[in-house]
Amino acid sequence: MNRTAPSRVEFLQGTLDLLILRTLLAGPTHGHAIAKHIQLTSEELLQVETGSLYPALHRLEARGWIAASWELSNKGKRARFYRLTRLGRKKLVAERSKWEAFSRAMAMILNPADREAQ
Amino acid sequence: MNSFFRKLLWLTQRRDKQAELHRELQFHLEEEAEERQERGLAENEARWAARREFGNVPLVEEATRDEWGWTRLEQLARDAAFGLRQIRRNPAFSAIAIATFALGIGGITAMFSAFDAVLIRPLPYADADRLVMIWDDMGKTDVTSRYQPTPAEWIEWRRLNTVFTDLATSQPSEATLSGDGEPEQVPARKVTWTFWSVLGVQPMLGRVFTEDEDNKSVRVIVISHGLWQLRFGSSPSIVGRKILLNDEHYEVIGVMPRGFYFLPSREIDIWMPASFPPWLRMNFTWHDAQIVAGLKPGLTLERARQSMAALSLEVTAKDFRGPHSVILAPLREEIAGKTQTALMLLLCASVALLLIACVNLANLLLSRGAVRGREVAVRAALGAGRGRLVAQFLTESLVLAGFGTITGLALAVPAMRFLETLVPDAMAVRLALDWRVLGFSTGAAIAATLIFGLAPALRGSRLSPQDGLREAGRSTAGARSHWFQHSLIIIETALAVVLLTCGGLLLQTFEHLRNTDLGIRSERLLTFETPLFRYKDFDRRVAFVNAELESIRAIPGVAHAGAISRIPLTVTDQATFYLLAGQSGDSIPKQVALFRVVTRDYFPTIGARLREGRFFEISDRRSESPVAIVNETFADRNFLGRSPLGAQLKFGQLDKEGYWYTIVGVVKEIRERGVTEELKPTIYLLHEQTDQWSTKGAQPSGIVVRIAVEPASIVSAVRQAIWSVDKNQPVWRVQTLEEIVDRQLSTPTQSTALLTAFAVLALLLASVGLYGVLSYAVTHRTNEIGVRMALGATSGGILLSFGKRGLALTLTGLAIGLVLAAFAARSMTALLYGFRPDYLPTVTVVSLILLAVAALACFVPARRASRVDPVIALRNE
Repeated sequence: MNRTAPSRVEFLQGTLDLLILRTLLAGPTHGHAIAKHIQLTSEELLQVETGSLYPALHRLEARGWIAASWELSNKGKRARFYRLTRLGRKKLVAERSKWEAFSRAMAMILNPADREAQ
Repeated sequence: MNSFFRKLLWLTQRRDKQAELHRELQFHLEEEAEERQERGLAENEARWAARREFGNVPLVEEATRDEWGWTRLEQLARDAAFGLRQIRRNPAFSAIAIATFALGIGGITAMFSAFDAVLIRPLPYADADRLVMIWDDMGKTDVTSRYQPTPAEWIEWRRLNTVFTDLATSQPSEATLSGDGEPEQVPARKVTWTFWSVLGVQPMLGRVFTEDEDNKSVRVIVISHGLWQLRFGSSPSIVGRKILLNDEHYEVIGVMPRGFYFLPSREIDIWMPASFPPWLRMNFTWHDAQIVAGLKPGLTLERARQSMAALSLEVTAKDFRGPHSVILAPLREEIAGKTQTALMLLLCASVALLLIACVNLANLLLSRGAVRGREVAVRAALGAGRGRLVAQFLTESLVLAGFGTITGLALAVPAMRFLETLVPDAMAVRLALDWRVLGFSTGAAIAATLIFGLAPALRGSRLSPQDGLREAGRSTAGARSHWFQHSLIIIETALAVVLLTCGGLLLQTFEHLRNTDLGIRSERLLTFETPLFRYKDFDRRVAFVNAELESIRAIPGVAHAGAISRIPLTVTDQATFYLLAGQSGDSIPKQVALFRVVTRDYFPTIGARLREGRFFEISDRRSESPVAIVNETFADRNFLGRSPLGAQLKFGQLDKEGYWYTIVGVVKEIRERGVTEELKPTIYLLHEQTDQWSTKGAQPSGIVVRIAVEPASIVSAVRQAIWSVDKNQPVWRVQTLEEIVDRQLSTPTQSTALLTAFAVLALLLASVGLYGVLSYAVTHRTNEIGVRMALGATSGGILLSFGKRGLALTLTGLAIGLVLAAFAARSMTALLYGFRPDYLPTVTVVSLILLAVAALACFVPARRASRVDPVIALRNE
C-alpha cells in the first residue's frame, strides 16, 4: 500500500452521522462526495469507510433525517443524491450542541491549564 | 411518515432497492476510479485501486441492507423458517413433541376456562365481591348446623345492623301460569324490594317493585328473559300486561336481562314481592329465607362476622331454642360450592401435566441437541455467537410450541363442552375460548416454551467448535450431562405418581358413591311434581291425591305409584322439632328430624325395606291416634339397643292439642337429602293423618311411579291421567330417579374422570420420557457397548446395567412422588365426601402400575443394547 496518510483518527460512536448531516448542510450531494468532503476537510485525519458510510446514509434515510433522490452529478452521471430534511436540520442543531458540550467538557478535563488562564 | 412505516414501505420495494443500492455503490466505485485516473493511473489499475480502497462490496451491501429493516425480526423469521424445516425433516420427533405440548396446553386451557368462569370472572352483580350470604348457625341440633334464616331475622337485622349497606331476603315460591296455553309450573322466588338494590341489578324492560308495593302486597311480578321469550314471544308490550298466576291476576312490571341469575338456581323465572304476612314478621322459627347482604365499603368480612354474631345472639335471645349465632359466607363461595375444590385440584393437575409435557420436551430436545452437536459446531466455527445460537434454539422450540398450542386449543374446545357439566348449577355460564382464555394459554405456552426450551438451548450452544468437529457426531455429551436429564425423569415420574395417587383416591370415592345404598330401587322409577297449592282444603287434597294416583295406576305399564312431600334425593331440608313421650319440654330444642308426608303406596313403590315393624296400611285412617314410621338413624339416636315400636312422639304441633304419633315401623335408610349428603333422623307420616299440619310443606306433591316400560314412553300418558282428574293441574320436573342420581354425582363423576385422564396421560408421558432417555443413551453408547462386549460382557449383563439405571430413576421418582402425594391427598378431603379411601392399597397399586410401565419403557431400549453386535458397533468407529 502506498498510502501516506498521517495517523488516522477512529470514529467515535455516532459522530459519522453528525458529520454527514453537517456535510449535507452545504447542499445535496452523493455518497462519494460526502466521504471525500469529510476526508479533505479533516485534512485526511478522518477516513470514511464505505462499510460505515452507506449503512449510515441508509439509516439516516430510514429515520427521515435525510432524503434521497437520483440526480445528475456534475460529470453528467446519475447518482444517488442525499439532502437534509427539515427533521434532519433540527436534529443537526441538537446533535451539534450535544457534541460541542461533550467536546468542551473533554477539553476542560484534558487541559485544565487553559481554564486557569481564562 | 415515521421510520417504522418507511421501513414497511421499503419492505415492499425490496427488489428495487437492492438494484438501486447496487447502482449507488457502483457509482461510488466509478467515481473513485475516475479520480485515480485523473491522478495519472491507467484505467485498469485505477479500477483495481478503487476496488481495493472500497473493500468487500457484497459485505457493504449487506451491512447497508440491514439498515432497511428490523434485523432482529428478520433473524427471528430465518430461525423460524429453519425451525419449520426441522419439523418437516424429523416428522416423528415433531409429531411426538407437538402432541405432547398440545396435551399439556389443551388441558390447562380447558381447565383455566372453567376455573376463570366459576372463580375469577366477576359475578353479574354490582360490587359482587362485597356480597355475603347469611345463615343461622344452629350448632346444637341434629339435622344441620347451617339453617336458612327467618324473615323475622331479616327485619331485625336490617333495623339494627351496622355492617351492611342493605340486606335482601328471598323465599321459595310456587307459580302456576295459566290463562293462555297449557297450565305451566315455573320456578319462582318471593323477594323483598331490597333484592334489586343489594344485587345492584336493573331490569332490561320496565321496572322492579317498590317498598310500598312490597308492604301493601301489590300483585306485581318481574319475569326472566327466558320466560319472556318462551311464553310471551319476546313481546315488547309485556310490561303492564296482567297474567294469571296461581289463579290470581298479576301485573308484569319488568323483564330481567338474559344473563341474570341468583341462588338457589339459574332457572328462576318469576320474582314476586315477599310481602311477609303479619304472623311471619314475628316468627323466629320459620327458617325458609335466603338472605344476601352487601358489606359496607372498607369493612372486612371478619368485622362483619363479629358484629352480626353479637347482633344475632341479641335478636334471638327470646327464642325457645336459645339464642344462636350466624354464619357469613362470601357469595362466590356459596355459588361455587364443592366445584371450587374440584376446579382447584384439576387446575393443579393440568399444571402438573403441562410440566410433565415440558420435561419430556426438554428431554427430547436435549437428546436431539446432542445429535445436532456437529451442526452447532459448524455454526459456531462460522462465527455464530452463543447468544445467537441460544436464540436459534429457542426460536425452533417456539415454532414447535406454536404448532402444539394451536393443536392444544383445538383439543380444548371439545374438552370445554365436557367441563361445562362441572360449572355449578346456580351459574348460567357457557365456557368459551375467548380473549381471556386465549391470553392465558398464550402466556402459559410461552412460559412452558422457556421452561422446556432454555435448558436444551443453553446446553446445545455450550459446545466448543473444536470438540464438536473432532468428535464428528459421536457421543458428544459427557457423563456429567446425564444428571440433568435424569433429574428431569425423576421430576416427571414424581408428578405422575402424585396425579395417579389423587386419581386413585377419587376413583375409590366415586366407586363408593356409586355403590351407596340409596334405600331405593332406582331403575325404572319415574318422578315428577304436582304442586298442590290449589288444594288448600285438607279433605279435597286427600281426595285429589288418591284419585290422581288411582288414575296413574290404571295406565298399562305402571306397577306402583305413590306420593311424597319431597322427591327423594333432593337436598331441601324439611325438618321439625319433636318430643318423645316421657321427655320434658327442655329436650325439644335439640331434637330436630326431617319429616316427609307420604301416601300409603310410597314405600312399596320405591322398593324401601323395613328393619322392623310395618309400612302404612289400609287400616291407618284419619284419626286422633295416628302412626309414624322412622328411619334407622332416628331409631338409633333415640332408642339405641331397643325397639322403638310402640313408642309415642309428638312433632309439628307440640302443645297439648297435638296428636301423639305411635311408631309402627323402622325403615332402612333412604337417602332423602341426596346421594352424597349425611343421613339424618327422619320421620315419615301418612298423608291422611296430617290434618293437624299447616298445609305448607306437608303436601305429597312429589309423585313416584314404578314402571315396567321405558320411562319416556309413559310420560304423556301420566300427564293425561292427571289431567283427567283435574285439567288445570300442572305437572313438572319430570325425571327418572337415575337422572337425579346422575346429576348429583356429576361433580364427582366429572372430576374423577378428568383427574384419572390427567393421571393416565401423565403416566404415559413419563414412560415415554423414560423410554426416550434410555434409548438415547443406548444409541449414544453403542460404541462403548461394543467395546464392552468385545471384552467379554454378556448381553445379560448389559441388559441388567441399563435396566438398573432406568429402575433407579423410577424408584427415586416414585419415592418423591409418594411423599408429595400424601400432601396432595390432604388438600382434597372436600372431594372425598366424608369417605376415607384406603391410602395404602391405592399407593401400592399406583406403585405397581408405575413400575410395570417403567419396566416396559426400560426393557425395550435395554434389550436393544444387549443385542448390539460388537463387530458392527466397532465398525462404526
